[in-house]
Amino acid sequence: MLRAALVLGGSAVGLAALLMFKTQPGAPGAAAADTPATPSPATSATGAGASPAATATRSAGPKPSATTGGEGASTAARIVTGTVVNTQYGPMQVQITLTGQKITNATAVQRTDDGTESDQIDAMAIPKLTSETLAAQSARIDAVSGASYTSSGYIQSLQSALDKAGI
Amino acid sequence: MPVRRAGRPALPAVVLSLIGLGAAAVLALWWKDTPPIHGTGELLTGAGEVLGLLSGYGVVVLVALMARLPPLERGIGTDRLARWHAMGGRYVITLITGHVLFIIWGYAVTAQEKVTSETVILLTRYPDVLMASVAWFLLLGVGAFSARAARRRLSYETWYYAHLYTYLAIALAFSHQFADGASFTTSLDARVAWSAMYVTVAAAIVWYRFLTPLRMAVRHRFTVMSVRPEAPGIVSVFISGRDFGRLRAEPGQFFRWRFLTRELAWQSHPYSLSAMPRSDLMRITVKARGDHSYLMARLRPGTRVIAEGPYGAFTPSLSGRRVLLIAGGVGITPIRAMFAALPKRMADGITLIYRASHPRDVLFSRELDAIAADRNASMHYVIGSREQLGYDPLAPEYLQRLVHGLHRYEAYVCGPPGMTQAAIASLRAAGIPRGRIHHESFDF
Repeated sequence: MLRAALVLGGSAVGLAALLMFKTQPGAPGAAAADTPATPSPATSATGAGASPAATATRSAGPKPSATTGGEGASTAARIVTGTVVNTQYGPMQVQITLTGQKITNATAVQRTDDGTESDQIDAMAIPKLTSETLAAQSARIDAVSGASYTSSGYIQSLQSALDKAGI
Repeated sequence: MPVRRAGRPALPAVVLSLIGLGAAAVLALWWKDTPPIHGTGELLTGAGEVLGLLSGYGVVVLVALMARLPPLERGIGTDRLARWHAMGGRYVITLITGHVLFIIWGYAVTAQEKVTSETVILLTRYPDVLMASVAWFLLLGVGAFSARAARRRLSYETWYYAHLYTYLAIALAFSHQFADGASFTTSLDARVAWSAMYVTVAAAIVWYRFLTPLRMAVRHRFTVMSVRPEAPGIVSVFISGRDFGRLRAEPGQFFRWRFLTRELAWQSHPYSLSAMPRSDLMRITVKARGDHSYLMARLRPGTRVIAEGPYGAFTPSLSGRRVLLIAGGVGITPIRAMFAALPKRMADGITLIYRASHPRDVLFSRELDAIAADRNASMHYVIGSREQLGYDPLAPEYLQRLVHGLHRYEAYVCGPPGMTQAAIASLRAAGIPRGRIHHESFDF
């Protein structure tokens, strides 16, 4: 009995330590586009609509737009939209803003919207994915725990946008 | 006579280290794939994921321990493997339960739902979670059936069939790992490696637990030759066949026997060889306890048998030391095989203490006396319960008086669990180090 208590206690301590080490704020610039820890309270509770950040840039239709302006050394901002990726819960499409060769913004112009909890997951996950993108300046970012499909679709669409932009 | 040399490698420590390394690798997988945690919801979900990964790994380890892998059976011993499996099983079920609770809680906090409604969402909207939940309940049930309190009340057969549901549980829970687990959905490498782990252990199970017994039955043609009563409630069964030398059975080892009659074909039971096998004949001696043993007394000659083995790490090692054998009740079975197999040149170096509650429970007395005379070994029959005798014949003082220089001996003990533990305690008290006390419990 004592041995069982020791083993379980040790496991709990080990698990807590592991999680504690993961809780250090990691990538630089992660704070830039980060939303507060819990998902945006206003919309998630009802889950009826998308979170404020995405609604503002939601485009009319899913057309993948070509690059505007010149490419290469120009420092003009340009917007590149990735292909629509169909996840299990609906479509996902990422649009990035490039200043020169640097990604300065990333948004989801289409997102999974199969039902209530998908929107909540997106509201939680997409801001994180965005901040990871800005920090990594590539599509080599980690999936968000609890948002497997969102992350997978996001990363694929992001990569296609980067490919289109020639980065 | 195949008696193994002393100095077997520390396989138990090696195997435990490997299991630990595997767990570390699983944790590294989670670490690598997971972004930094912000907030309570992610923290709780992270705990759920870690526990889930360890559970998926732990389940594979538990099954592998019971896959009858020959190096494990020989180097670690069947009884120790069964104990590890039992302890590990309780631990893994705790991990799984923790995984379920933390995932529900973490997802609920993240999505800002109540725990109850989040549970419903998880069950209905996430792929394969419902199956995994069924698997969880099955494993809780198996755990309940395997608890000591339950096993005292249930027959071996009931427990055995309940335990088979673990295979079903593993099959049900497998897919949700890939469908819902963050470490797997975006990493093909992780999925491949994880699947390879499961497939390997499954293949081992099929080969060692299903195909090998059949191959052996075909090769050796085990058949019941005759049944002989030895004492009230105890019978010896003689098994004939061919090519038994290839089995390389060592004295003290046992086989798992499946007698192909209508009642007995559904299960296999372990019984030790009570004599070293000839190339065409083996003998086991069985106590009539429970339905299975009762039916054994009525076996008809010509009944075919499927035998798996040899198993067991309870075999003499030739360390050059004097040997003390302690047998209690039907534990004399493997001890008698060892006794006969010890080399004759160990004259004066062998002592056998045979503990029995009643004279009629003493088995093989003529054989034992003959072997003892042949080797000039000391035989001590200690018969009667402790109340009748008035003292505990296995107490350290008594053993030391009986066996001169006891602390230099190599000891082998086999008997009912209570007697075995008492004897081991006495031997330790008499100064024999743990490494020189060998025992086997028949509990599994």
